[in-house]
Formats: sequence, structure tokens, C-alpha cells
Amino acid sequence: MDHFSPVIVAFCCHYCAYTAADMAGSMRLSYPSNVKIIRVPCSGKVSALHIMRAFQKGADGVYVAGCLEGDCHFKDGNIKAAKRVAYVKKMLDEIGIGGERVEVIRMSAGMGERFAQSAKDFTERIRKLGPNPVRAVLNQRESAGA
Amino acid sequence: MITAERKPIEEILEYLEPYDRILLVGCNECVTVCAAGGRKEVALLSSALQMARMKSGRTLEVREMTLERQCDPEYVEELVNFIDQAGAVLSMACGCGVQEVARRFKDKPVFPAVNTKFMGASERQGVWAERCQGCGDCLLGLTGGICPIARCSKRLLNGPCGGSTDGKCEISPEVDCAWQLIWERLKALGLEKRYEDIISAKDWRTSRDGGPRKIVREDLAS
Amino acid sequence: MNNKVLVIGGGIGGIKTALDLAEAKRDVVLIDKAASIGGLMTLLDRTFPTNNCDLCTVSPHLSESGRELHIELMTLTQLTRVEGEAGNFKVTLKTDPRFIDPAKCTACGECHKKFPECVRFTPGLDHRAPTCMRYPQATPYAYSIDMTRCRNIEALVEVCKDGAIIPDDIAKVVELDVSAIVLTPGAALFHPGILENFGYGKYPNVVTSLEYERILSASGPSLGALVRPSDGKPPKKIAWIQCVGSRNTNQVAAPYCSSACCMFALKEAIVTKERFQNDIETVIFYMDIRTSGKDYELYYQRAKNEYGIEFVRSRPHSVIPVGETGNLSITYSTDQSDMPLKDVFDMVVLSTGFQVPADLVELAGRLGIQLNEHNFVETRSFDPVSTSREGVFVAGLFQSPKDIPETMVQASAAACLASNYQEAIKEADKTDDEYPFDEEEELPSERDVSGEEARIGVFVCDCGYNIGGVIDVDRIVEYAGNLPGVAVSEMVGHGCSREALAHIREVIVEKKLNRVVMGACSPRTHETLFQDTIQRAGLNKYLLEMANIRDQDTWVHSDTPEESIDKAKDLIRMAVSSAALSRPLTDHLLPMNKDILVVGGGVAGMSAALNLADKGYKVYLVERSGTLGGLARHIRRTLEGDDVQRHMSDLIQRTINHENVQVLLNAVIVDHSGMPGMFRTGIQSGPRLAYRQINHGATILATGALANRPREYLLDEHEAVMTQLDLDGFIEDHPDRVKAWHNVVMIQCVGSRCPENPNCSRICCQSAVKNALRIRKLNPEANIFVLYRDMRTYGFQEDYYRRAREQGVVFVRYGLEDRPSVEAGEDQQVEVSFYEPVLGRKITCLADCLALSTGFVSDDESTEDLSAIFHLNRTVDGYFLEDHVKLRPVDLSVPGFFVAGTAHSPKDISESIAQAQAAAGRAQTLLAKDVINLGASVARVDGEKCAACLICVRICPFDVPFINADGYSEIDPAKCHGCGLCAAECPAHAIQLMQYEDQQIMAKVDSLLEGIL
Repeated sequence: MDHFSPVIVAFCCHYCAYTAADMAGSMRLSYPSNVKIIRVPCSGKVSALHIMRAFQKGADGVYVAGCLEGDCHFKDGNIKAAKRVAYVKKMLDEIGIGGERVEVIRMSAGMGERFAQSAKDFTERIRKLGPNPVRAVLNQRESAGA
Repeated sequence: MITAERKPIEEILEYLEPYDRILLVGCNECVTVCAAGGRKEVALLSSALQMARMKSGRTLEVREMTLERQCDPEYVEELVNFIDQAGAVLSMACGCGVQEVARRFKDKPVFPAVNTKFMGASERQGVWAERCQGCGDCLLGLTGGICPIARCSKRLLNGPCGGSTDGKCEISPEVDCAWQLIWERLKALGLEKRYEDIISAKDWRTSRDGGPRKIVREDLAS
Repeated sequence: MNNKVLVIGGGIGGIKTALDLAEAKRDVVLIDKAASIGGLMTLLDRTFPTNNCDLCTVSPHLSESGRELHIELMTLTQLTRVEGEAGNFKVTLKTDPRFIDPAKCTACGECHKKFPECVRFTPGLDHRAPTCMRYPQATPYAYSIDMTRCRNIEALVEVCKDGAIIPDDIAKVVELDVSAIVLTPGAALFHPGILENFGYGKYPNVVTSLEYERILSASGPSLGALVRPSDGKPPKKIAWIQCVGSRNTNQVAAPYCSSACCMFALKEAIVTKERFQNDIETVIFYMDIRTSGKDYELYYQRAKNEYGIEFVRSRPHSVIPVGETGNLSITYSTDQSDMPLKDVFDMVVLSTGFQVPADLVELAGRLGIQLNEHNFVETRSFDPVSTSREGVFVAGLFQSPKDIPETMVQASAAACLASNYQEAIKEADKTDDEYPFDEEEELPSERDVSGEEARIGVFVCDCGYNIGGVIDVDRIVEYAGNLPGVAVSEMVGHGCSREALAHIREVIVEKKLNRVVMGACSPRTHETLFQDTIQRAGLNKYLLEMANIRDQDTWVHSDTPEESIDKAKDLIRMAVSSAALSRPLTDHLLPMNKDILVVGGGVAGMSAALNLADKGYKVYLVERSGTLGGLARHIRRTLEGDDVQRHMSDLIQRTINHENVQVLLNAVIVDHSGMPGMFRTGIQSGPRLAYRQINHGATILATGALANRPREYLLDEHEAVMTQLDLDGFIEDHPDRVKAWHNVVMIQCVGSRCPENPNCSRICCQSAVKNALRIRKLNPEANIFVLYRDMRTYGFQEDYYRRAREQGVVFVRYGLEDRPSVEAGEDQQVEVSFYEPVLGRKITCLADCLALSTGFVSDDESTEDLSAIFHLNRTVDGYFLEDHVKLRPVDLSVPGFFVAGTAHSPKDISESIAQAQAAAGRAQTLLAKDVINLGASVARVDGEKCAACLICVRICPFDVPFINADGYSEIDPAKCHGCGLCAAECPAHAIQLMQYEDQQIMAKVDSLLEGIL
């Protein structure tokens, strides 16, 4: 598992995290390339189903990156997002995928460094957890078949 | 509305153990409103079940359908073209819906994905509370619009009992004493006198005690 | 009616002025004597403090001005004559021959392939060739020829297959009526060849900072490789010498400070370090490091502490070559050294300052405007962008040496003032023959793409080195070509260039594309540009999807190009999958409320309010305290000696008497909602805190900063100790006591540039110089000591600093490790001890007055409250954070909000007024439109699916959804803010957020994870 390069989907709020990611770009702050950003208008737009679907399709980790508390462009979309992620965590625990594979991360638009650091930290967390069990089983079967 | 809550996924998985293809059917009525079995919950459960299956090295094919109302035969009929491909049906409707599907498709196993809870109202976003037990002989007119049968732990017709403290029921400080509520409501309406009237013992035959019930509207019935 | 403004000079300042005027619906004629616009900034590789590539940041602006309906661009053009007066000038413009017909030139490059040395503009590093295109995105996109250098004209003419070369092209002269003139011609850089001791021109490895910038630049002579000119070897040790041609009383040079060179050198050294880490040594020789701009001090500290750049405080004596090695030996001395020191470098960079070239002096003469002693345009403290001639304004370097953000502020200020001489144009009034240069056409009608199968065009930018330098763009293009639904996949170089945009348009029409994916930079910066392009090709603008393969890929994965390629493929695949599902949408429009809320009644707030009120806008001016005036009420004199209080009382009188200004005193802002063009802000004001709501279209924040008063050096404990602000008043009020002083000591940077307040307060050095000179005038005998860390008298303030030294004011440098100490002495004196580095010993002085330069701190409490209410961003130290520190210094991150004065960063009165005028101008551009475009990203309900559960009604942060008479949820698109909370929560999946529909998001997820399982 040394070569495990997790696939991570980052749903990023346009107003903060997506901008912070661009900021990381202009500051040339490197972070793992396995983090792929999907832009949303607000972290509260991310439905539980989007997260579940990502895991179902093999993502090893998902995070929803929204604004700092009190800074949501839409008042409290980021708080709603956090509650929803907590709900998905339970569901993932229930089916043995592991709730710790999904997280809410908060940052402001100017925090390019936090974006890069979070991407690194989260990648490291998932690396420690290993691949999404769904993916692991398939891989095992494949290698068994081969 | 009828409220429900999704069953633990583990229990659902046990039901589905023998099957590799299922039809997952939601309902766009009560269970949608109480966020237990509408299109969204269907999609979420479908995703969770498939993942759980894949994890154990098998696959599960799920066809998702959400009917306008699962307790009406005409809507249930919409399943007819899809039922054959499925080994079993998993219903996210209340018990009525589950049974209607089972009645229509006699040779197909039908499993409930939710626990039907009670007839209730939404207190606020995401919170539902029991309000009616369907006793068949409504006495809300006597109790200021608050039902002692659904809301008093002991279903007392003349309360409160000695377990009422500071307006709360002895079973839990979270539960309001229904009779306290009735008293306050009557007082607010200036109908304290009505509280003095003894409500006589209830004839429970109109309720479940008279056996399964049915309503027939002669003018409508065909 | 004469409705045009003439803008002279197409650098970044002129472009900004022209864009602002055009946005405010004024017609602009933008002239530049060069063959294309862009000026100095487009020659830079990166700009501080973000270290971004400039070309990328500025290029959309360039294309914008090329496209803009109201701007007529005339290159190779100069003003030869001006007559008349403000509101009614008659100007004569002469356009030199280009020798190329821009209409025929396709910029194919054939002509300069035959002249291989002449592709790019590299000032001083190679000779100018006959055909010169200054930089890849030159606007207009056509070449020009210098016929005097051409040896074989016939051969040159034959090279062009399109017959665009006109060997006998002649100059054209036109007369124009304009109502106002804005000067933004920039300045020249000092030519260091005159200073023989640095050997510039003799030793190839001595270069100017701009040349070094070009060597670093991806579009420069070495294509971005850092190599030294003499032998093409990468240098290992580089020195920067500051103040070359600035702060120099040598006749050929300039005595003033050029203001931008310190940051310029820091940036170059940092970029060098970033690229080569420990393999390269960088040393900066400086006199004072003048990083007094917003957050610049932090940049300096990073340069020193994180990047390990070495700083030597010395003005080197000479640069001498070391044999034939190409290396250079610098001789210098420092305070600590008795003997001259020597050090050897591979390359020496001279930080050359700004100078006004002779042709601008002539231009000023033609315009009849006054210049100051240094040949910069004379302006007044309280009217910083107006020249001595009414109706003629100046912005940028020609006014005084400055950096880009200040130029942008002045450019917007000049646009604001120049627009007072015309009325905004109604679009319907325009006729075609009035706009001979206008190539713009009406938007074509939208092609109906419904029912068509997706025919997606993928266009991938290489963005110069930004993308193409990291990944092989051809591989991406090939990959994208095989994705489902993709009909065309192409590389487009700089996709945002005028030429590329035209090409994309053609391909869309030709190949009948119905969706477009741009593999480019961030949609945040470029989406509107590309949307506009596909609209012009007849597609609905929402049929565009962008894959951010630059900011979020090549910029961050340059060290792992293979991973970067894989990610680019993923991002393009995701965009294609989502684009296939996109659908045409209509923007929602609402009428614009044109009133303005100005928060803060200081100089900046009142200036902004009056500027707008004079234009006829209704202004609500909200002031927290019971009086207008702010901090400047306590200031008596400017450095130049102007009477602040006279200006202040005039401002206050005009403000309270203006029929368009409503002043609310003792007022606090308590709530806020809405969007640009229709804000609603709740205010409690007056003694009873009465609540009222104000409807307004734009908001200007001018809430100021606080005078810092740290408990240091016996301040507020001893009567001899005061702040510079106290002293300013004391000198005015108690001249007799000042006359009796024997010793005066001033300590700089008290409470600034320290851990609690790491930034520089910008104004304290000039305050100290100002007060020292005033004391000196009253009391020529007094000893005045100024204890400083770096004297930051930027621009023409340097003249006063020099004057102070000439008049015997003693400036003594101290370091943080060796701060002065103060104790109470006898006879109302304080005993100040400090280390004198030149004497090399400690000195103790009994001071009658100890003035502490305490500067500013942000009004943290106010900015925190307001940023919470208005959802604005702040800097770490509590100032409002602008939308772009370089190019949008007045606009805040929330559209419709602008900032002016010290709420933005520490600045002096003149700078505050310029920013106030700029904020007024920016607000005017916003309010020039009659409708607000709400965009199309709104939630839509499918009534068939809706279960009327009320979840959307309850979750909406703005209470928009309701259950309608038909029994299902309805969302008014005019009220929807587009957050998508309802869509995410709807249990019946009955709500979709346009542009972010579930199937589009799912398509992205699915396509990203394709093949993983």
C-alpha cells in the first residue's frame, strides 16, 4: 500500500475555498494532485447524495470546503453543510466505509496556504486509512483473478 | 401525516441477502415530507446499499422508482413493467404502501426499508411529533384541541395523574404533560368549566379493539 | 454634444481610466505613441506582493479595452495641439505610419520569421528590429515596422502574403472635440549608463531591474531561463543596487525617491530564490528599505527571514569587472566597517528609478500645465489628480513616482473627475458613423440548440509558460478530442488574447458547436470573457464550462508534470461531461437603485460623498460619532505646509449644505441585505438610536483607522512625551514653548513594524520630517534628533527629508536589537539614550520634547463588525481587504462595495482623497447601468415532483420559496440568491439550481471517478 494514491473529491465553495485554491495557485503552493475540485456556489449546495455517490464510484475521500463560521455568503449555508456531512458520516459508518473519510473544512478566500495545507493533511489522513473498502475489495479480486 | 424513519441498513441488508437485483420504491406523499422515503432518500439508500454490497464483494442492482402514492393501486401499477427484473421489492413507503405493493405482486417478496412510526405533525424543520392515534372517535372538541390519547403517556381521559411535575410527564422531562397543556388551553379559551366535566369511559371498539377497520363511502364506492 | 474624453497613454493606468469611463458610459479616445497599448506593466514578469504573472492578470483588461464599445484606440498617436477650455477642448492628434495595415495583418509572423532576432521586445538586451511586436497579447494584434531600420524594403513587402505591408504609409492628422483630458503617459526609467561607476553598458552582466525582469520572463529573450548576458551561464550570486538614479543629487540623476524600486528588487530577489532555492545567493544593497505600502512590510520580512535574502545597508561605491570571468566586484562600506569592503557577484542588477522624459515635458508644454521642479505634473494636496489647467487630469507615474495599485487608484479618480464634463450616453443615441473605429456588432441572436446532440468544442490554452511550460498541451488536446460529444479540440495559445477569441468564435460557427469547454485559468477571472465570446458566436453564454488547469493544476503541480497532465485530463473530462448537460439560461434583470451609502464621515467619506452628490447622486453619509471630520480634524498641516483645517471646514460646510447629501450622525449599521443595485441597510442613529432602513445601490466604506497610542516610552505618563499628531497641534498652538526647547528627540516606528503591529504605518516618517522642519523654522538653535529604522520618505517627500538634513536635523538609525531607552529626567525633561552607529557609542540626551511616531492601527472593532454585517474580507491586521491588491485596490470582494482612505491601509490625506475620488468613480461605473443582472444561477422547482413539504421554505436563508396556489413550491428568480441549499435538501428532488444541476455535478463526480472501480 506504499504507492496508494488516494482519489479525493473536494467540493469547494466559490466564495471561499475555490478562491483560496486559486490563491494557492498564484502563490505556487504545491499540494497533492489527487485532490480534484468541484466548484459549488455554497458548501450548502452539496447534497448528501453527491458525497455518497462519490464514494460509491470509488473515491477514497471527500471533503466539503466552505467559509469560516459566520462568513457564509448565504448566511448559514456552511453550517447546514456541516450538519449534512455529519449525517453522511453516520451513514458511512453504518455501511462500514468509515465516516472519517468525509470532512468539512473551513477557510476564507485569502487562505491559499490553508487550502494547500488542508489538501495535504486530508490526503495524509486518507492515505493512512487506506483505499475505499469498495475499491479495495475489487482490487483484491482483480489481483486474485490475475 | 404518517411519519417514518429509515431502518438500520444492516437489517435491510439481511432482508436482501438472497437477491442481486431489487426494485427500490419510494413514495411522494407522507414519507417524502418527513424525509424518510422520497426520491432523495431512495437515491441515498440505493447508493449505501450498493456500496455495502460491493464491499462484501458482490453487486446489487437497484432500480429506483418513486410513486406519487404507494398506497393506491393505480400508482402501484406503474411498477408492473419493472417488477419482473427484480428479485425483490424494497419499499420506503409506510406500512400501507408496503402492503399495497405486496398485495399487487403476490409472487414477489416485498421488504420494508422504513419503520412506520406515527401520525404526527412537524414541530419544526427536521422534528416530527406524534399527534393522533386514530381512535375512531375524536374527542378533541372536549379537550381544547389537544389529544390526551396520543399525547398523554397513560392515555388518561381525565388527567393529569400524579406524575405530572412542572408541566412535564414523569416518563421524561422532554415530554409535555398533555393534561397540563389541555388545562392551559382551556384556561386561555375561558373554558375552565369544561375541565370539570368528567369524560366517561371510551368505547374502544371504534379503535383497533374492534378489529381491522374499513371505511366505505356508499356514494363513491364502486 | 461634445462627449469624449481623451486619455493620453495606454499603460495600465490609461487602460483603467478608459475602462472606468467607458463603464460609466462615456466615450473615450485612448492614444498611445507606441504601436500597442500595455505600457511598462506588460513588460514585467511578475508583480509584488502576490508574485503573479502580470500578463495573465492584465491581459483580460487589455482585451476588454479592445472590445469595449465606448473606447476608440489610436496607437502610434500623439497629441500635437490643444485649444479651448474644459468641457470644450479641440485637440489635434497625429498618427505615425505603422507601415502595416492592421485590417489585413493576420499576425502570421512570416515577416519576422525572416528577421529571426526580432520576435519580442527586450529593452536594452537586443537591438530593436524592423518588425516589432512588443509582447504576445499586444493589442491591437498586428505588427508594426520601423522603416528607418529596414535595409531591404522590397523583400520585406514580398514576405507578407496578405499584402498588409504598406511601405509608403504616411502620418495622419485628425482634429477631435473632447471635453476633458486625462494624462497617463507613465514615465521613463533612468538610464544608468550615465553613472560611470556602475559600468552599465560596459559590462554585460550589469543589467537594470527591468532587464532582469525580462530575463526572468517566460516571454523574454531567454524564454524564462535565468542566464547572464555575457556567457549564458546561470548566475550563482546576484547583487541588487538600490536607488540608482533616485535619491541622488548628482545632476544627471534625480533627488526624489522612485517609490517602487524597493519592492521591485525584493520581488525579483524572492522570485529568483523561489526558482533556485539555495543554489543562488541574493544580496540587496540599500539605503533605506521603503516598504510602506499595504502589507509590504510583511513581504520584506518574508524576503529576509524566509527566503534568506541578504540585506546590506550601503550605497556601493563602484562595480569593477574581475578579469575576463564576467564576474563583478562591488566595493562598498557600511556603518560597521572602517575599511571599504569588496564582494564578487556573477550579476549586478541596478534598481533604476523613474524619470520624466523630455517628450513628456514638451507634452506638458503643449497642454499648458505646470510641472514641479522634477518635471512631474504639479498637483495640490487636496486635489491630487487635477493639473493646473481645468479639465486636464493626471494619473500614475507622471504625477509622481508610484507603484501599480496607487496608479490604479489615481486612474479611477481621474476617470471620476473627467466624467464631470459630459453626460452619460444613452445607448440609443449612438449612431454608427460617430464610431468609425468601432468594429463591434450587435450580439447575434442566440442559436436554438435544443434537441441537438452535444457538439462540444474544447479549447486549451497554453497561457505562455503558465500551462504550456509545465505540461504538453498537445497531449491534452488529443485526449480531449476523443472524449464523448467532443467535436473539436484545439490549442489556442493565450485563449484570452483578442486573436484567440476571434478564432474561437469562428470555430464555433464553422463547426456548428453547441457547447464550449475552455481548458484555461479560473472561471473567477475569465468566465465572463469567454461567455461573451461564445455569445458573439450565437451561443447562450451558459453553454460554456471552464476547466481550471492553470490556477488549480499547472501552477501547483509544476514539479510533477506527469501528475499535472493526468489532473488536467481529469479536469477537462469533468468539464466536458458537465458541459454536455448544460442548457441555455436567461439572466434575470431588475431596476437599479442609484443611491449611495457612504460609511464614515472623515476626509475620505466626505470627499467621496461630495464627488457623487455633485454628479447628482443621492448620498447617505453615515458617521458613528457626533461630528464630521474623523482623524484629520486633529491634523494642522501637511508636509507641504497646506492648512488641513481650512480644507476640513470647507469640506464639512459643503457636505452638510449639499442638497444631495443626507448626513446621519451618531449612527451605527445594524443589518444589511440585498445585492449590488438593491442593497438595504438598517441603521440606528441619533440620541435615541432610532432605526431606519436605507435602500441604496452601492456602498463606500471610509471608516478610517485609529491613531495608535501604545503605552511606551512614558507616553501619557510624562508631559514632555507626545505623539507626532500631538506635536503637530502643539507647534501650532504653543510656538513660544517650542522656541524655548533645547533638545527635541523623535523616535520612529513606535508601535509599528513590531510584533503587535507588524506593518509600516506609512505616514510617520513624513510626519517626523514635517514637524522637525516646523520646529527648525521656529527655533533654529534646537538640537533635533530623529531616531529611525528606515526613513521612508517616498516620492517627493524625499525633498523634505533632504532639506531637514541640510538644516541640521540629525537622523540616527537604530535597530530592533538596540532600541532607544527613555527615563524621566529633571525639569520636565526626559532622558533619551540611544546608540549612535557612526560614532559607535551610546549617547544620552535630555529632551524637552520626545515625539513618538506612533502611526496608525486599524479600527479593528469597526472593521470586524462591518465585515460581519456586509460579509467582507479583512487583512490579518484588521484593514478591509480589496478584491485584487494590484489591479482592483478600491473594489472590495463583495460587488457593489468600495473602500477609501485609511480603512484600506495607512495613507496620507492626499492619498485618501485620491482613493475617495476613485471609490466615487467606481461606484459611478456600477450605477451607470439601469438594470441589475442577477445572473441565471437560480433555483427552479419542478411542480410535478414537489410534495409541498415546506423543507425549502424553511431552509432558505432569504425566505424566498413559498407554496403557491397550485400547491407546490415557487421560487421567485428575482429574489433567489442562488445558494442551492433548497436544491440540496429537497426530499423529492424537485428543485434544481441552474448552472449547478444535480446531473451536472453527478456527471463531474462520475467522470472524475471513471474507471476507478
